Amino acid sequence: MNNDKNALDRRSFLKASLLSGGGLMLSVSWLSSFKSADKAEALNLPDQWSQLNGYIQITSDNKIRLICPNPEFGQNVMTSLPMIVAEELDADWKNVVVEMGPHDPVKLGAQFTGGSNSVRMYWKPLREAGAAARQMLREAAAQTWNVPVGEVTTKAGVLLHSSGKSAKYGEMASKAASVPVPKDLKLKSPKEFTVVRKSKKNVEVQKITSGKPLFGLDYSVDGMLIAMIQHPPAFGMKLKSFDAAETLKMSGIKEVFSLKLYEDGFEQGGFDTRSFNDLLVVVGSSTWHVMEARKKLVANWEPAGDQKDTMGGRNGKREVTVPGALESTLIQMQQMQEYAAKPSQQLRKDGDPENAFKNAAQVIERTYNGPFLAHNCMEPMNFFAHVTEEKALLAGPLQAPGWAEPTLAKLLNLPPERIEIQMTRMGGGFGRRAYAHYLSEAALISRKVKAPVKLMYTREDDMTYGIYRPMYTATYRAALDANKNLIAFHVKGGGIPEHPIHANRFPAGAVDNYLAEGWQIPSNITIGAFRAPRSNFNAAAEQSFLDEVAEAAGKDPIEFRLELLKRAKENPVGKNNEYEPDRYAGVLKLVRDKSNWGKPGNEKYHRGVAAYFCHNSYAAHVVDMVTRDGQPYVDRVYSAMDCGIVINPDAATNMVQGAVVDGIGNSFYGELTFKDGVPQKNNFSNYRMIRINEVPKSIEVHFVENDLDPTGLGEPPFPPVFGAVANAMYKLKGKRYYNQPFRDELEKTI
Amino acid sequence: MAKITLNINKKDYQLEADPQMPLLWAIRDLAGLKGTKYGCGVAQCGACVVHLDGEAVRSCVTKVSRATGKKVVTIEGLSETNSHPVQKAWQEVDVPQCGYCHSGQIMSAAVLLREKPNPTDQDIDDAMAGNICRCGTYLRIREAIHKAAEMQKKAPVKG
Amino acid sequence: MKQDLNKGPGYFLTRKAAMLLSLMIFIISVAASTFRKNPPTKEIRLNLAERDSIESVKAFETVYKTLMSPRCMNCHPAGDVPLQGDDSHLHAMGPKRGVDGKGVFAMKCANCHQDTNTPGLHTPPGNPEWHLPPAAMRMVFQGKSPHELARQLVDKKQNGNKDMKKLIEHADDGLVLAGWNPGEGRTLPPVSHAEFKKAWITWIQKVLMRRKNSFNLNLP
Repeated sequence: MNNDKNALDRRSFLKASLLSGGGLMLSVSWLSSFKSADKAEALNLPDQWSQLNGYIQITSDNKIRLICPNPEFGQNVMTSLPMIVAEELDADWKNVVVEMGPHDPVKLGAQFTGGSNSVRMYWKPLREAGAAARQMLREAAAQTWNVPVGEVTTKAGVLLHSSGKSAKYGEMASKAASVPVPKDLKLKSPKEFTVVRKSKKNVEVQKITSGKPLFGLDYSVDGMLIAMIQHPPAFGMKLKSFDAAETLKMSGIKEVFSLKLYEDGFEQGGFDTRSFNDLLVVVGSSTWHVMEARKKLVANWEPAGDQKDTMGGRNGKREVTVPGALESTLIQMQQMQEYAAKPSQQLRKDGDPENAFKNAAQVIERTYNGPFLAHNCMEPMNFFAHVTEEKALLAGPLQAPGWAEPTLAKLLNLPPERIEIQMTRMGGGFGRRAYAHYLSEAALISRKVKAPVKLMYTREDDMTYGIYRPMYTATYRAALDANKNLIAFHVKGGGIPEHPIHANRFPAGAVDNYLAEGWQIPSNITIGAFRAPRSNFNAAAEQSFLDEVAEAAGKDPIEFRLELLKRAKENPVGKNNEYEPDRYAGVLKLVRDKSNWGKPGNEKYHRGVAAYFCHNSYAAHVVDMVTRDGQPYVDRVYSAMDCGIVINPDAATNMVQGAVVDGIGNSFYGELTFKDGVPQKNNFSNYRMIRINEVPKSIEVHFVENDLDPTGLGEPPFPPVFGAVANAMYKLKGKRYYNQPFRDELEKTI
Repeated sequence: MAKITLNINKKDYQLEADPQMPLLWAIRDLAGLKGTKYGCGVAQCGACVVHLDGEAVRSCVTKVSRATGKKVVTIEGLSETNSHPVQKAWQEVDVPQCGYCHSGQIMSAAVLLREKPNPTDQDIDDAMAGNICRCGTYLRIREAIHKAAEMQKKAPVKG
Repeated sequence: MKQDLNKGPGYFLTRKAAMLLSLMIFIISVAASTFRKNPPTKEIRLNLAERDSIESVKAFETVYKTLMSPRCMNCHPAGDVPLQGDDSHLHAMGPKRGVDGKGVFAMKCANCHQDTNTPGLHTPPGNPEWHLPPAAMRMVFQGKSPHELARQLVDKKQNGNKDMKKLIEHADDGLVLAGWNPGEGRTLPPVSHAEFKKAWITWIQKVLMRRKNSFNLNLP
């Protein structure tokens, strides 16, 4: 389904040129048609990024080179984006070569991996680019063969004519470069797809299984030094003094120094978050030497006190006070209880919730808590930097080069065109690598030591220097009338340092009287995006709460939700509801049918269901739990997704299965606590991660089949897993689980 | 620092290394083989698994001195053409997401299949629970190990 | 959300009470069996036996609290997965005993546990012989009462056919000694190795000598 209202004049985003060495180069605008329906999750794109900014090349030797603009962190864009081009180009998939593009804000745009946006953002421009190239190749063939262009057909990278003439794309590519870019493009109907919707293998799987140096930590150049930073042991502390005498005696150590990341008054952008501003740096010749030498540092730390940060941005400069307290989880929990009792910011109100609650036959009120979470990407934070007076080369794992570069330009006082950022494959991201402080740190260190440097975080550095998922709480209230109908719904959520509430999501729109409120407590513990930010808490709390309300109303949890969605469809309350009730209901119905919900044959399982909408896609899971060796395990999961057209079904299935496993792991074990500002976990020995012996035997993934433009999949399946697990735990244990991680609550009961 | 000879993937490397240095860093920094990954440094995650005389040791806690006089095999040397049944099964099942942990996963799985050519799900869990995959590809790891077992039956691993 | 990993003073009191109760039962049972097996005519021997049993019980109290400390018990689990940490939780990643006690497949003890302790917190402790008791001689400590543990330790069918000499020698086994060199961040057993060894020998000698005597007396 085309979204015509977003279409721009095609001439403004397609341009053909002759490839040096022969062949066609088609420059395209990746971003021209991207608009977000959901303002909360939309990207703010500068106008110049809507200009020509990417390209495909068809070389004379019949290779189709596609630059993948977005960094790859396991979401498989390096495969799915080229599939979109290949589809409309009618290319032979075997001849498509995919390369990771460098950061190039002029040619490649934002290049932001995050927000489940890659496929959604590139779907239309990539199809049009492919279709345009195909049409130009047909035109070139028609001219060469002297036949009407309408008679030239294509199949798997070959141009054909009924006379028997045929030519590979490469043979016509140079000529096609002189053909005017077509004004009218005919895109395939989904029925005609031959590449999209057919599973393709990850284009880098061969490199992965043979151990090729794909990742940031693998990047190496001659003469490269290794740097590590000793950061303060606690949030709220800063460096007072240090003695490096013993460190400098260690073999292979070049330099030890301290420097500031941001000078006072430095205007930070939204992704410039950093936990600590003082860098105490050890630089040496090899990883092991630096690790060992760092242990010999004598560093003195002191409380930093309240700090002022200067935030830049569209609304001008503003000063933000970062409180200096050394925070502890137990005190934070008390603080949250105090704040929850105070008046807070109203985010949405429909009808007259106060009155409805007053007159209700039954009111259900429950409070849910979720801890700070560390991302724990398998590849710890690291970056390569080689900075000289004239230019800077950076390489490493990064989700948002478009946001890192302006910061770097300011820090190094270099114009952006003298800064080259290369993106390596990322060993996981989950939001963590959108915060590029480690890139800036690497750059400043390289400039200081005047050498190419790899900055590396150890696992302990990575876990204790986090840009964590915030700590959240939310109190939900539901009012039922005498006939057990839901007449009012109230959520008041808060967090350290941000609240989790998406006020315009289900069940907003389905209840006459609705109130959403939020509050937040400032903190020096740094937070940021974590796979489906805020949603990953909301879906746990709200979906668990709805389960309890359905039970109180005497209704099946799926039917209860479907009734509300019917109301939201037929007679919606309010105007800004973000979700489409039909699609939301669609995943619930699909998961109900596929899991045989409510049907006999599932007696050995304790079943929980949850659904959620975020990042433009819909997800529902049925989680089946059993007790094994006295412990609760998720044994089987059914998932239903609606993300429109599924580009690469097997990879999409992999993504959903992974999100389910991640959700089970984090709901059971995920937690980072603090004591006097010190993170209480620092490695996988105390931060428990889900392992193979704890995962379900099967995760059956089903996609709603429709021809809607594709939306993202990296985040949407993750949040509702928490809720489904909580609801299944209730069936298994006969008690509700309100506090994540569930493992801790569980252990108190056994 | 001492002169140390390490036999990695059938090749002798003459290295200058502190005997206390973990094998991981000798392999990565000194021999320049980057396929073996650093994940935790404390034997918790399995990203650094290599074969030491055939056993799936965690190179991040194995001192380089323990490896002298022994045969080290890393992911780069598991097969010459990326064709060990475990590698082929990984490709066929399309296991990886981010891919970072899979060198270690594959090296662990190869030992399992050598010692138990027809592993059950329980055997797989027993053998693989030491390898963390943050992306959660565990179900595909199970599937791929079963597939590798099938492939191994048809074309046994030589040597 | 997590409050504290420690289970609180109540937990320890309960355990201590249970242990004392177990010891009482052990004393009564040893005394009773001594009484049964010794004819009442040998009054002096009975008194001696009683004195011996009290010494033996005292020694075993030390032995028991040592063996049930995490440094010893963690490798003598009730199941096939070793325990870890001062709270004796199941070993992360669930390594299995295997036939020889040295692990299975890619999860053999020596894959992580080196000849010596790995430096640093939360790193694998080391010993050249690192292993669990083999499958044929599981020698479970976890969950055993003093009485049950005592019987098991001296039962040749359960202790790997160890006689008194071998049992005494076992106090100086390398892996037993490793309990007193546990690596950073781990608590030591409640008594020194020397104290443990003294108690161990005292108990072994008393209990086995008495058994020997009893055995002889029971000869036709």
